[in-house]
Amino acid sequence: MTELSFYGFRPPGIEGESLPGRLIVIEATDGAGRSTHVALLKEWLEDEGYAVLDTGLRRSDLAGPGIQRAKGGHTLDPITLNLFYAADFWDRLERQILPALRAGMVVLADRYVFSLIARAAVRGVSLEWMEELYAFALVPDLVIYLDIDVEQLLPRVLSSTGFDYWESGQDFLRGSNVYESFVQYQQMLLAEFRRLAKRHGFTVIDARRTVSQIHQTLRSVVDGVVRGMEEWPTESAGTEQLNGAARSDGTVHAGDDAVDVTRSGSAAPSE
Amino acid sequence: MRDDLGLPGRLFIVEGIDGSGKSTQLNLLHKWLISQGYLVVFSEWNSSPIVKETTRRGKKRRLLSPMSFSLIHAADFASRVHSVILPALQAGTVVLADRYVYTAFARDAVRGVSRDWLNRLYSFAVKPSLSFYFDTPLAESMRRIMDGRPKLKYYEAGMDMELSSDPEESFRIYQGLIKHEYERLVDEFQLVRMDATETLIRQQQRMRDLVRPHLSGVMRFDGGEIHQALRDAHLLGRYLNVGPGRLPPP
Repeated sequence: MTELSFYGFRPPGIEGESLPGRLIVIEATDGAGRSTHVALLKEWLEDEGYAVLDTGLRRSDLAGPGIQRAKGGHTLDPITLNLFYAADFWDRLERQILPALRAGMVVLADRYVFSLIARAAVRGVSLEWMEELYAFALVPDLVIYLDIDVEQLLPRVLSSTGFDYWESGQDFLRGSNVYESFVQYQQMLLAEFRRLAKRHGFTVIDARRTVSQIHQTLRSVVDGVVRGMEEWPTESAGTEQLNGAARSDGTVHAGDDAVDVTRSGSAAPSE
Repeated sequence: MRDDLGLPGRLFIVEGIDGSGKSTQLNLLHKWLISQGYLVVFSEWNSSPIVKETTRRGKKRRLLSPMSFSLIHAADFASRVHSVILPALQAGTVVLADRYVYTAFARDAVRGVSRDWLNRLYSFAVKPSLSFYFDTPLAESMRRIMDGRPKLKYYEAGMDMELSSDPEESFRIYQGLIKHEYERLVDEFQLVRMDATETLIRQQQRMRDLVRPHLSGVMRFDGGEIHQALRDAHLLGRYLNVGPGRLPPP
């Protein structure tokens, strides 16, 4: 069950107390293996019989095309760009993620608000403002952070896409040395992610290991969150009863930590 | 909102429900400022070239829920603050804005968005030197709008709020809610209340009287042979695309 809990305030038009699905977020910098692990988890969960929605950033009907256009041509100030991202994020939350959770699906989010916050923070946007901006975001059941260092990132990035303009921070870092920009930018970004992980109590997974090892760890963490979903009450059973049932088996909900720490540690406004 | 920047320019803004006459008065103020030799930059709600297309798309396809409505308008506003309003104020000109953050505060709050969150969201906005609120009875502004027999647009009439299935009735209820929200904002942010039932000329005189004390030290466009010629001929140069500032569109 996903408790309908938001970082700061409940956005208009969202009703109810809980949803039968689960929201699982995977955060990491590009090249850490995020999409690979989302794909593997999706396949495993579907084999287990769960209905899965995987969703990423910048895919909404509303703002997706606008962001692509804006990043392509005009020089965009960081506040405007982040408001654009926020509109896009909200559109996906409202029109993809929430309906899927309502329908009882497991939602695997390939990045969530934390990637947006980290990227903005290294570009000099106030961290406080960014966290307040996303006060309307749904608190996930589980936030996984794939932890990695620049040294391990380099071969992975070089063997796949190469140094991307944005992922090398070339939009704001001085100098024309792409390699140095990439290293500098990723170090800043990783530091920001680690700060966020601590502050919001992410489940940190060491992504320096093999894909197979990481996948096994992810499975056990995710399993703790999705287990009990089949016990979602039918029309006749009450929600209270389910809460008791789902937790009486002694399962450690990896998500509980994340959610609790987030609530106590978040700077988002409470209303 | 920020008022800690010590910018040399001055920002004057107008607010009010549709049909309150705010744009008419701002237009007159614009022309007067130009005739006085001030450099004037004008910025209108919903006009950022970067964001406009997305807003249009959202409205046309009715994709905008209260939160996306709020965020998209904030993006439009932020883009104009950074590309138009702030640079002009830094340079020391007069900036006029037809609608400002208070429009967003009112429209979003009536759609249920947290007021506290809106305040924080718009913390990057520059606090105006003067904000005018055009106060008009609902019936009067409705009459002004409906006299033109307009085809009311979906969001303009607040149809997304499902207040009524009749666009005209929805528009009236919506404007009433907005007006109520403005009342709260006038007190909270000390907007200057303008009695929009007074004659147009009285309103304009009052605006000018209030604006005048803020103009000392503001950049003026002085000189140039064309301007001397215009002055000698007692003309404004309405059809010449030269300083001190472009005239507002008719």
